[in-house]
Amino acid sequence: MPAISVLRRFPVFLFLLLSWPALSQAAIPPPAAARYWVELRDKKGVRFDAGTYFVPAAQVRRLRQHLPAADSTDFPVRPDYLCAVRLHSDSVLLVSRWFNAVACRATPAQAAELAQLPGVRRVLPLPETPLLPAARPAASAWKGEGRKTISAADRLLARRQVRTLGADEFRKAALDGKGLRIAVFDVGFNGADQHPAFQELFARKQIVATYDFARRSAHVFHGGSHGTEVLACLAGRMPDGTPLGLATGAEFLLARTERMHREIYAEELDWLAAVEWADRNGADIINSSLGYTARRYFPEEMNGRLSLVARAANLAARKGILVVNAAGNDGDNEDWRTVGTPADADSVLAVGGIDPETGLHLNFSAYGPTADRRLKPNVSAFGTVLTAAPGGYSHVDGTSFASPLVAGFAACVWQHERSLTAMQLFEKMQQSASLYPYYDYAHGYGLPQAGFFLANKAPEQLPKLDFVVEDSLLAVNIRPEASRPVVRALPFYADSAVSFPDARRVPRVGREEPRPATQGQAVAPDSGPPALPAANYLYWHVADARGVLRRYEVVEVSQRAILRIPRRTLRPGDVVRVFYLGTTHSYPVL
Amino acid sequence: MRRFLYSLSLLLGAGLLGPAEGLAQRVLLQSAVGQDTVYGQFGPNRTFFNHLYVGYLPVVGRAAGAGAKLRYGSSAEFMVGVRNKFRLSEPLSTGFDLRFVRLTYDLAQEAGKVLPTPELHHRESLAMSQLQLEAFVRLNVGQRGNAIGRYLDLTGWGGWALSTAHRFEDRPSTGPKKVHLTENGLPYLRRWPYGIGARLGSSRYAAVARYRLSDTFTSAASQLYPELPRWTVGVELSWL
Repeated sequence: MPAISVLRRFPVFLFLLLSWPALSQAAIPPPAAARYWVELRDKKGVRFDAGTYFVPAAQVRRLRQHLPAADSTDFPVRPDYLCAVRLHSDSVLLVSRWFNAVACRATPAQAAELAQLPGVRRVLPLPETPLLPAARPAASAWKGEGRKTISAADRLLARRQVRTLGADEFRKAALDGKGLRIAVFDVGFNGADQHPAFQELFARKQIVATYDFARRSAHVFHGGSHGTEVLACLAGRMPDGTPLGLATGAEFLLARTERMHREIYAEELDWLAAVEWADRNGADIINSSLGYTARRYFPEEMNGRLSLVARAANLAARKGILVVNAAGNDGDNEDWRTVGTPADADSVLAVGGIDPETGLHLNFSAYGPTADRRLKPNVSAFGTVLTAAPGGYSHVDGTSFASPLVAGFAACVWQHERSLTAMQLFEKMQQSASLYPYYDYAHGYGLPQAGFFLANKAPEQLPKLDFVVEDSLLAVNIRPEASRPVVRALPFYADSAVSFPDARRVPRVGREEPRPATQGQAVAPDSGPPALPAANYLYWHVADARGVLRRYEVVEVSQRAILRIPRRTLRPGDVVRVFYLGTTHSYPVL
Repeated sequence: MRRFLYSLSLLLGAGLLGPAEGLAQRVLLQSAVGQDTVYGQFGPNRTFFNHLYVGYLPVVGRAAGAGAKLRYGSSAEFMVGVRNKFRLSEPLSTGFDLRFVRLTYDLAQEAGKVLPTPELHHRESLAMSQLQLEAFVRLNVGQRGNAIGRYLDLTGWGGWALSTAHRFEDRPSTGPKKVHLTENGLPYLRRWPYGIGARLGSSRYAAVARYRLSDTFTSAASQLYPELPRWTVGVELSWL
């Protein structure tokens, strides 16, 4: 076959390929028009009145945090620029004041024309990518629809999920998030308006605004039940009135940020539109149990600066909104493992999941650090919860549900200390957490504690262990007095205790006596507030001079000689930190 | 003394067999951050990726002359192969496939047939089993993460026919109900096919068109038989 003949046939070949309708319809729908992000140059000459644009709650939020009534990011985009974009595109999808940009649908030729417009800084393609809810399939058999009967174990879990954060202290101090406005971004709130868990919420008109960014309507009680489950972890109640979350007194803005016809997806643009909407409507806190991961990004891109939603979240924080986001559920995904976006943003409080049974990190909860080695998740809460679902109540797993627990906590704290700015609240919540100042990339700083804000005096921080430098090892030994209150007095080596029982306590053959019942068993904790999860574990890490961890572990304490770290593995500038019984001990390596 | 030796052996045992850090400790959670945050080189949009795929590409078009009409649908290429892809940049990749292809021309039994004989049967086909190597250049559209995404592949392929066969089935009115006969090692078929192609894909699905540049028949046989259709167009399903 001569080459000329091939070339002559080549257009036919391509034509045939592209005009294979049945196949290309099923496999690859090649869109004539694609989505583009058009960034505009300036906002010169636009008029803006913060008093009419923002609702009073939004104005008060800015005033309280000593922020300007508005800044240039709040100004509308120039109408002449917007008109020009409309003229040179198929349709406008979103107009973003914050980014002075317009998302539109246009053909490649139109995109080229848009790039030439005088008011356009640049034109970027926008991929069509779904935003995945950070939830996992329910662990129990009654997933999907909620169950009407509630077992004793369910009630216990429901109480523990809030008590471990300090619900009792908040209740005594009459803190329930009253006066705070929380925006919930999710994929749909199926049945929330009918569910008894939210009866009080609706009766008191605490749902102040709703918007479906997919259908451009105010109706959000459809599309999926994930939002209902998340909302219950903020302000839902059991039939007996037991709260499932901490913010039962707060007001809510519900945003359905999903554009696909199926229930579980949303898009980045919707998230951006919702955050501007929440700002305008006076949100103090945003709870977002959503995240982008592998469909669009690589884990090494999770640096908090790349994605549109991460940048939008950071901008929201600058406007005085605390953004709380689920860390993500890819901890057991070897291809991802780390947090998604916008949880990677540095001003976003990323929340990891804790196992109620062990008090330790849940396998699926995403690990930090971010790609640029910042701490994530920041804090943790229960990642297995009892929540309200259409038709009843349900056990669910996912950092999606840890996030609203912490958002509710933030509402109570902010109600208590109204003068805090969003980032001050962020910092203080980290400081209040159960492990602070210790941290690791599985738990962050641990579970935030209401007692930090409400207790009259800080708990006494007595040293519990000693660092001993030996020839080639750095030894960490628990002090004898530190071991006694928690469990039995610990032996120096566990195996020595097992292997060599005290001869004096072992009578002769034929005269043996039963051991005391308490020996070798944990002493029941005193009555009072529930013991923090993992209180008897020892956490340790090695951090470099920048605070970036090189390794971390959690070990179960069974002996006083708890750690032997080879000194060759430590570098000058490193810090070894050990957390045990509420106290963090540091050993700087010189 | 025995107690001393016992304790010594236990301590030595713990020293030799136990973990370097922490004697007799139960580690509940452990992470070496440097190792846990190593980003892989293998993946759909990483430096290298390979996966299996299967394809079905019916023959389309007509023979270049009379006497070689085909039954469409059953005249097709079935293929199974492994695809190796090397990422050069976000929109550009290259790679090669290794595959086994079974190409069948199911010959219509009509008067005037000349291929390979004028004799009519109940069913008749020419088949080739081939090993093929295909190189491709992939153009991707849109930003994406570690996903295949949407792409256009431009390909060039060549191969070797492992076996050739002429099969036919007769159903005589007397004697046996069916008679199958297979002739292998057909001297009139070329053993070294080659061609070009293109693939339009999204994730695991792809629409494929291939054009054979080589002739079906040897130069001597091409005087006797019309050239068979050069196009195959079909689908591929990848195992990602």
